[in-house]
Amino acid sequence: MTDTTSFQPTHEDFARVKANLSIEQISRPSLSYWQDAWVRLKKNTRATISLYIVIALAAFTLLGPVFWQVDSSLQDLNQISQAPSLPKTAALVGAYKRWDGIILEDFPVEPEAYVESVTPVAELRAFEAATTQQVRLIWNPTVGAGGYNIYRNQRAPEDFNDLGLPLGSTYGGNEVSYEDRLSLESRDYYYSIVPTDGYDEYEVFTVTEITPRMIITVSDARDRNLISAGEEDNLGQEIRLEFHPFGTDYLGRDMLARLMEGARVSLFIGIVAPFIYVIFGIIYGGFAGYFGGRLDVLLMRFADFVVALPFLLFMILFKIAFGIGPGESGIFPMLVALILLLWPATARLVRGQVLQIREQGYIEAAKLLGAKPHYLILRHIIPNTMGVILVTLTFAVPAAIFTEAFLSFIGMGVAPPTPSWGSMCNEGVKTMLSHPHELIFPATFISVTVLAFNLLGDGLTEALDSRMRSRE
Amino acid sequence: MKFVLAVVLLLLIQAANAEVDATSVDFKSQTITIALTQEPPQLNGMKATDQVSITILGHVMEGLVRYDRRGNVVPGVAERWEIDDKSATFWLREDARWSDGSPVTAHDFVFAWQTGLAPTTASEYAFILYPVKNGEAINRGEMDPSQLGVFAEDDRTLRIEFARPTGYFVKLTAFISYFPVREKFFKLKGDRFAADATDLLYNGPFKLTEWTHSASLKMVKNDNYWDRDKVHLNVINADYITADTRARLNLFIDGKIVHTRLDGETYKDALTQRFRIRRFSTGSVFFLEYNHRPERVTRNRNLRKAIQLAFDPNEMVNKVLATPGNLPGASLFPIWLNGVEDKFRREYPAPVSDVDVKKANQYLETAKRELNLESIPPLVMLSSDSPTAAKQSEYMQGLLKAKLGLDIKIDIQTFKQRLAKMTSGDFDMVTAGWGPDFDDVMTFGDLFASWNLNNRGRYSNPAYDSQVRIAMGSSIPKIRMDAMGELQKIIHDDSVVLAQYEQGVIYLMHPKLKGVVRRVIGADPDYTYARVVK
Repeated sequence: MTDTTSFQPTHEDFARVKANLSIEQISRPSLSYWQDAWVRLKKNTRATISLYIVIALAAFTLLGPVFWQVDSSLQDLNQISQAPSLPKTAALVGAYKRWDGIILEDFPVEPEAYVESVTPVAELRAFEAATTQQVRLIWNPTVGAGGYNIYRNQRAPEDFNDLGLPLGSTYGGNEVSYEDRLSLESRDYYYSIVPTDGYDEYEVFTVTEITPRMIITVSDARDRNLISAGEEDNLGQEIRLEFHPFGTDYLGRDMLARLMEGARVSLFIGIVAPFIYVIFGIIYGGFAGYFGGRLDVLLMRFADFVVALPFLLFMILFKIAFGIGPGESGIFPMLVALILLLWPATARLVRGQVLQIREQGYIEAAKLLGAKPHYLILRHIIPNTMGVILVTLTFAVPAAIFTEAFLSFIGMGVAPPTPSWGSMCNEGVKTMLSHPHELIFPATFISVTVLAFNLLGDGLTEALDSRMRSRE
Repeated sequence: MKFVLAVVLLLLIQAANAEVDATSVDFKSQTITIALTQEPPQLNGMKATDQVSITILGHVMEGLVRYDRRGNVVPGVAERWEIDDKSATFWLREDARWSDGSPVTAHDFVFAWQTGLAPTTASEYAFILYPVKNGEAINRGEMDPSQLGVFAEDDRTLRIEFARPTGYFVKLTAFISYFPVREKFFKLKGDRFAADATDLLYNGPFKLTEWTHSASLKMVKNDNYWDRDKVHLNVINADYITADTRARLNLFIDGKIVHTRLDGETYKDALTQRFRIRRFSTGSVFFLEYNHRPERVTRNRNLRKAIQLAFDPNEMVNKVLATPGNLPGASLFPIWLNGVEDKFRREYPAPVSDVDVKKANQYLETAKRELNLESIPPLVMLSSDSPTAAKQSEYMQGLLKAKLGLDIKIDIQTFKQRLAKMTSGDFDMVTAGWGPDFDDVMTFGDLFASWNLNNRGRYSNPAYDSQVRIAMGSSIPKIRMDAMGELQKIIHDDSVVLAQYEQGVIYLMHPKLKGVVRRVIGADPDYTYARVVK
């Protein structure tokens, strides 16, 4: 310890101290509020992934149709309910020609006497090469038969009760042919013939396995521009059918094109409606909050009143009021109903924020310096509520998308043939077990979109909260 | 873990119970359990119009005649009958009894038919009684019901005078509108008549003993029925009321019901379950009906012709409906109708026109010229809310857009609402169907006569009407069928309707239940002659 009494100050002790600038050096770049928020958002993996998904969705919706120019309402009846697959090929054939079948002249129509049992029919075979246009079966008659029932199964039948679909019957022991045209695909079919006495079946059957060849008629191929003018005579030639990467629906419409068009409807509602009602909510809430007092009470009671109005009822009322007939799109009344009924949530939130902010010291200071209300609102209050507003907006988007999907699902939204994700789900749910892709694709799109917007909203809440500004 | 065990145990017990409850058929007591698609809306035979009510009534009531297992007319309450161009006489059997033991008399028929025609009853099926003399005038309120041309000569003789020769009259008397009603009982019950199981008298093979509204019905063999020896079943329980084909299939899989119909989706499950699938033609024809009112563009024949030539019923049946049993529509008259000696459609083949898009577009151009239109405005296609109908309409929408460039707006409505819109003419086209009420070509033939109330498109063509009149005014089969053959040609040439398909259904039936009859007309399915085998 230095003895204070023995301290002898020198001249150096009174020299001017140089400011140590290196201490005050700002080691990190100075960040504005938004820059900081962006930094924190980027650190949040979930939110970043969600952001990319949202961007990808926007690209899918806006740029998709440029690259995938397929009419979403064009029916391809050669490829109904196809699962996602690589392009298929089909043989070119001429137009369908009627076939009268085979009726034997030297065999009795009805047996002369009823017999207890008969032998199964012999030589069941295809009359000509089986195609997806028609399968023509012929067989030899069996003595005692007064007709035959024709069955079709997709696996080899195990016993008499496992013959599969009853396709049809012939009424006469001499009618020994049948033409099957029922939604044929290029796969293995097991055809069975059961002789009858004209009414009831004998419990014997004959099975044959037939695999039809995928074909397309010249006129279909021409309609779909699959062949050029010179190729029309090349019957039997394998041509490539239209490619459906996401498969087709129950009328052979391209799923990818439908999902893109559906996205347009869903995202249009999902973005436009919240955007408009959030802006309205800001103005309304800001007005109430800033001026306060009796005006505030009045305005907020009105907002409470609007909250109490039932959405679905108003949607229907608007539909009628706008004179939207059946078979026309209900998107516009849906938009109006969303805007007119959902703004109070934002208005309340903004009002609360404004009430809080207007009591802050810097507002007082600005007032004392002579700031006018509009300057205060625009310069100080609104920017400070921006965080809350953005978060509301990102949460409102999935809610609106979900509402649209739900209303289209129950048939109040788009009118056929326009697809939306909701209406596609409604159609897909009917064929859920046999053709799951018709439900899975639109349902996944709805879920992923809603989830992405929600996670993004979560990320934004954290990023925009000034109390959580990064301190590292 | 304990909790999981408890849950598993509970499930096991339930499964075991289900096994015990699985009594859709019982051999010893000859009991079966069925599911109805809806609660019967109206069991008063004078007023009923729907299939469920008709099926129940077909089991608990009997008319003068009935249909046997093969669909032939056999004696019912009447033992025998005589019929000529002007009148018919029915002799009633002695042992026909009501469920309270009293005899079924000729007066019961007179009362039922008179009441059925009275304007105050407002029966939608009153027209089916029009062949009886003065029937139409009574129904219009121009005459008193007592002037109806039906007389009880004594308790067991019923004489009918015809308004016009009606060769198929005997077949008509199997229909619900011709069922007897006991006057005393009817007046005693008043408004309550047919409202509950105890508010109805039964003269059929079964009687209704329990009716818990919107839950279940129970039919028990009627010991007073004259032909009771032919009835094997003792009890038919209708324990379930649901139209949901998936729920019904699950009930069938669980062994709770004996019969269920399959649709385009459920049949695939039935196939994997390895059930025996059966097929049946319902006899109904489905078609696209046009609005012929003057203000509608669909009144233009060339426009309708254009649509006719662009449409291929084969494609609709094989690719769009895609369930077995349906036949491509070719005519308003389905293939099962009888002609003079053979089937009607074999004697009078339906005119065919192959798809020809080029010609269709020529017709369309002509139509536009005639209508003075640059393009045809969007057409409203009214459709019902069943999945099949919606699919069908969307197919038509896509087809007409692709082939003819026509815009279609689909208006999906519930059955009732659709009917209301059809009646008020609020449509351009409507997907409609027609099921037969009796076994004669006339059940389809007079549908588009200008006076028929079911002609909701208001088609009016003197040539059509005159052919209907010819067929109605004669009892000679050849003359009647020739007229109907002409009618078939008119319908095709004028494209009055666009025949789409003749309906077929596929269904499952319990393998131990034999003798269930599927019918085109009347009660379907008919369990009257069914029996449970071991």
